[in-house]
Amino acid sequence: MIDEDVAEHMLDLATAKGPLVLAEVRLETSDRRNMTVKQGEVHSVSTSSDAGMNVRIVLDTGIGFASTNSISKSSGAVLVRKALGLAKAGKRKRKVKLSREKAVTADWKVPQKRPLRDVSDEERMSYLNSLDAAVMDSGSKVQGRYFDIADGEVERLLLNSEGTRVRSQVPIIRMFSFNMVSSKGQSEQSFREWGSTGGWERIDGWGAAPALSEEIRVLKDLIDHGKAVKPGSYDLLCGPEVAGIAAHESCGHPMEADRILGREMSQAGKSFVKPDMLGEVIGSKHATVIDDPTVPGSYGYYEYDQEGVRAKPRFLYRKGVINEFLHNRETAGALGSKSNGSSRSEVYSKEPITRMANTFVAPGDQGEDELVQSVRDGVYMKSFTEWNIDDKRYNQKYVSREAYFVKGGRIAGPARGCVLEITTPRFWKSLDGVSDKVEFVAAECGKGDPIQGMEVLTGGPMLRLRGVHLK
Amino acid sequence: MSRLKETAERLVEVARDAGADDAIAEVIDSSTDQIRFSNSMIDTSNFWREVHAHVFVAVDGRTISSDVRDLKGAPSTVRELVRMAKLTPVNEGYRGIASGRFKYRRTRTDPRMLSLRNPARFVHDAIGSALENGAVDVGGTLFVRRGRWGIASSKGALAEDGNASMDLSVRAFTQPEASGQAVCVTTTVSKMKAMDTGARAADLAVKAKDPVQGEEGKVDLVMEPLIMGSMTGHSASMASALAVELGMSMYAKKIGKRVASEDVTIIDDPSMGSMTRRTFDHEGMPTRKNIVIKDGMLKSYLHNTSTARRFKTRSTANAGPMIAGQFTTPNEPVVFHTVLKPGEWKLDEIIEDTKNGLYLNNTWYTRFQNSSTGDFSTIPRDALLLIRNGEIVSSVKNIRVSDNMLRFWKSVDAVSRTVEEVFWWGEADPGHLPAARARKINITRSS
Repeated sequence: MIDEDVAEHMLDLATAKGPLVLAEVRLETSDRRNMTVKQGEVHSVSTSSDAGMNVRIVLDTGIGFASTNSISKSSGAVLVRKALGLAKAGKRKRKVKLSREKAVTADWKVPQKRPLRDVSDEERMSYLNSLDAAVMDSGSKVQGRYFDIADGEVERLLLNSEGTRVRSQVPIIRMFSFNMVSSKGQSEQSFREWGSTGGWERIDGWGAAPALSEEIRVLKDLIDHGKAVKPGSYDLLCGPEVAGIAAHESCGHPMEADRILGREMSQAGKSFVKPDMLGEVIGSKHATVIDDPTVPGSYGYYEYDQEGVRAKPRFLYRKGVINEFLHNRETAGALGSKSNGSSRSEVYSKEPITRMANTFVAPGDQGEDELVQSVRDGVYMKSFTEWNIDDKRYNQKYVSREAYFVKGGRIAGPARGCVLEITTPRFWKSLDGVSDKVEFVAAECGKGDPIQGMEVLTGGPMLRLRGVHLK
Repeated sequence: MSRLKETAERLVEVARDAGADDAIAEVIDSSTDQIRFSNSMIDTSNFWREVHAHVFVAVDGRTISSDVRDLKGAPSTVRELVRMAKLTPVNEGYRGIASGRFKYRRTRTDPRMLSLRNPARFVHDAIGSALENGAVDVGGTLFVRRGRWGIASSKGALAEDGNASMDLSVRAFTQPEASGQAVCVTTTVSKMKAMDTGARAADLAVKAKDPVQGEEGKVDLVMEPLIMGSMTGHSASMASALAVELGMSMYAKKIGKRVASEDVTIIDDPSMGSMTRRTFDHEGMPTRKNIVIKDGMLKSYLHNTSTARRFKTRSTANAGPMIAGQFTTPNEPVVFHTVLKPGEWKLDEIIEDTKNGLYLNNTWYTRFQNSSTGDFSTIPRDALLLIRNGEIVSSVKNIRVSDNMLRFWKSVDAVSRTVEEVFWWGEADPGHLPAARARKINITRSS
C-alpha cells in the first residue's frame, strides 16, 4: 500500500522553497512475474516487487526530475533538494510553460476476474506449453519455439502542487513468442505478441494457440509455394496488422507534439509534421487514425495520464486531414493548447513524456470480401516481418510475412517477401477503401532517453491502397 | 570487506541456509545524472539513484531469479524466493553456475567522475560550440553514470567492482533536413571533449546542407564509427549461444567458417577501460577478451555456464543479468563491449580511394527480415554525403540500406587505423570502433 503521507511531505518541501510552476510527486509499487518456455521446457522464472518514487519540479529555468527505489520521507527530502537544484541549473532562456489543467481527484483501477497474483507458475507453464504444443502439432520443423509471459500489478499515486490526487491500480499481462519455421533449407521467422490490462481471464480472448498453429502452417506454405512479387504498381490490401503498424509509425509518432517541437530531436527524431500543419491534407477521406487509451481491457488502457489529465480518444488524422497532436502539458503549453492526456511513463524512474496508447485506423463500411473482390491485380499483405521508418516519419518500409497474390477479385497463391517502401503521404493518399472490422495487435513502443518501452495496441481494418509500387 | 560484496555474500548464505543448491547475489548501487537538451536549450535534468540486488537460486534443477529492490527486507525475500523455487517447474536446460577459485583484476575509476556535481557546463559548451560552427539548432543528451556492484555465489564467486563514465551525444542541424551527430564517451573527465563534439556535429551538418533525394543502386559505403556501432552491435549479439539455439542468429553452424572479409576481427572485450568495463560476468566469473570473429572467420559463440555445457564447451564469461529484461531472459549470454580491430587506413585515404560512394554518419532502425539469414535494412540518418572520385561533393537524403548482414561484412575492404569509443541511445551499442568501407551495398528508397 502506498503511503500518501510521504508524497504530501515531499510536496510540502518542494512548495516551501519558493515559487514554482509545478511540483509533482509519484509513488509506485509493483509486483511482476515472468516465465519463459523454450522448446517445450521451462527456461526461466523470475519475480520482482518494487517500490519507488520520483519528484518532478518545474521552474521557469527548467525541469528537474529525481527518483529512487525506496519510499520514505528522508529519501523524499533528498529527491526534492536534488530536483530543485537540477531545475535551477537548466538556465533556460525561454521559460517552461505548462498548459493549465483542472485539478482532479480520482481513484481508478482495472478489475480482474482471475487475479494475476493467484496464478501459479504451474499454470503459467501449462499455458505456455499449450502454445508450444499448438506449434508442434503443425508437424513442421520449427526452431525457436520461445514463449515469454510477463504479468504484474502496478499501483501508482500522483500528487501535484495544483491539488491533483490520482490513484490507480493496473494489472497487466502480455505474451511474446518467437518461432522460426524451416523447410527445404529455407526459413521464415515469426514474432507475435498479445497483451491486455486485466486478470488471467484475458488470455482466453487472445486465441493465441490457434493463431500460432495457423501461423506455422502459413509460413511453411509460404516457403514451399510462395513466389516473389514482380516489382511494379499494384493495388495493395493491408491486413489489420499492417494497417496498425502504419497507423502507429506514420501517424501516431509524427503527431507526437514533443517530436514536432524538437524535444526528441537527437534520439527518436523530429517529425515531418510542423506546428502550423494542423488542417493540412495528408491522406484521402478514408484516412482517419485514432489514438484511444479508453478501450476497455486494452494493453494501452488508462483513465488518467501521468499528469492527472483525463484520457480520451484523439483523432490524429481525420478524413485525411492533420487534426490533433498528442500532447502532454509541456507541449500543449508550448503550442498554446490543452493536454489531451498523452503523458505516460514506463516506471517511476522515467520522466513522463508524450506517448501513444491504442492507435488504429478507423473502420469504414465495406466488408473484407468486398475489398478483395474489388482488386483485379494486387497483393494482400496480411502481416509483416521487417519494418522501419526514418526519424522524421516520412519514409517507411514493410516486408510481408503472410501475403497473397490477388487475381481477378480472388485470393490466389502465397506471395513471399513482398516489400512496400513508401512515403507517408503516398501511403495515406493511396487509401481508397476501408473494411468495417477493426482488429488489434499488442506491441511495445520504444521512445525516450533512457528508452521507455510502453504498452500499446496497434490496429485497424483491412485497407485498400490503389496503385502503389511493390517489390 | 566491501559493503556490496558483503551484502551479496550474506544473501547467498541465506539462500543456502534456506535450501538452495546454487545461489548468486549481485548487489548494485548506481547513481546517474542525465541532461537532455533540444532547440539549443536544456529541457530537463534527471537524477536516478538505485540500490538493489539481483538474486538467483536453484533447488533441484528448479531456478528462479528476482530483482530485490528493498535491501532491508532482502533476507526474508531471499528465503521466500527459495520457497518459490521449490514450487517452480524444473528448468531442463539449467546446467549450473560458474564454479572455481576466481581471481579478479583490479580496476580504477576516475575520482573526478565520481565527484562531478555540475555536468551542465559540458552541455552548454557543446551547444555553444555547435552554434559557433554553423549549427542553428542543437539537441542531445549527457549522461554521467556511476555504479558499483558486488557479487557472491555459492560456487566461489566473491568480488566487487565499479565504473564511472560520461557519454555525450550531440545532434546539430543547419537546415530542417541537414544534420550531423557526434558522440563522446569517456571514463575520464579530462577527456570529455564537449566543444569538439559539438563542433564535429555542426561540421557534419554543414556538409549535409541542401540534400537531394538519394538514388537506388549498389554503392560503396564509408561508415563512421557511430553507424558501425549499429552494425557490430546487431551482429555480435547474434554470437550469443542462446540466439544460436533459438534460430535467431546468422552465425548458426558457422564456427570455423568465413562470415566476414579478412579485414574484420570482432572482439568482445569487457576488460578494457570503457563505459561497459566489467571484471566479472553476472555469474561472478572473471571476464576476458573473447575473439568472436578473427580475420573474417567465426571463432566462438558467447556463453554462460548453461549454454556452454549444452554446447559441450566452456563458458566465455558472458553471463548476462540474472533478471529478465524486455525480450531478454535471465542470465542470457550478452555482449559487454564490442571491439572492431583497427586497420591500416586513414579515414581520408578511404574516402580518396572511393569512386562512387556514400559517407554515412549514423543510422537507426536496423531490423532483420530474417535473423537466421541476415537479411536486413537500416535507415541512415544525419550526414549522408555523396562521394565522387575520392571527394565528398554533396549531400543526399531519404535512403535505406537494404542488404544482407553477412554479405555486408564480407564486403568490408578498408578499416581505419583510429578507433573511437561510441555509444548512442538505442542503436549504437557500446564499443571501440574504427570507420570502415563496405563495397557495393544495396541502397533503396521510397516510391
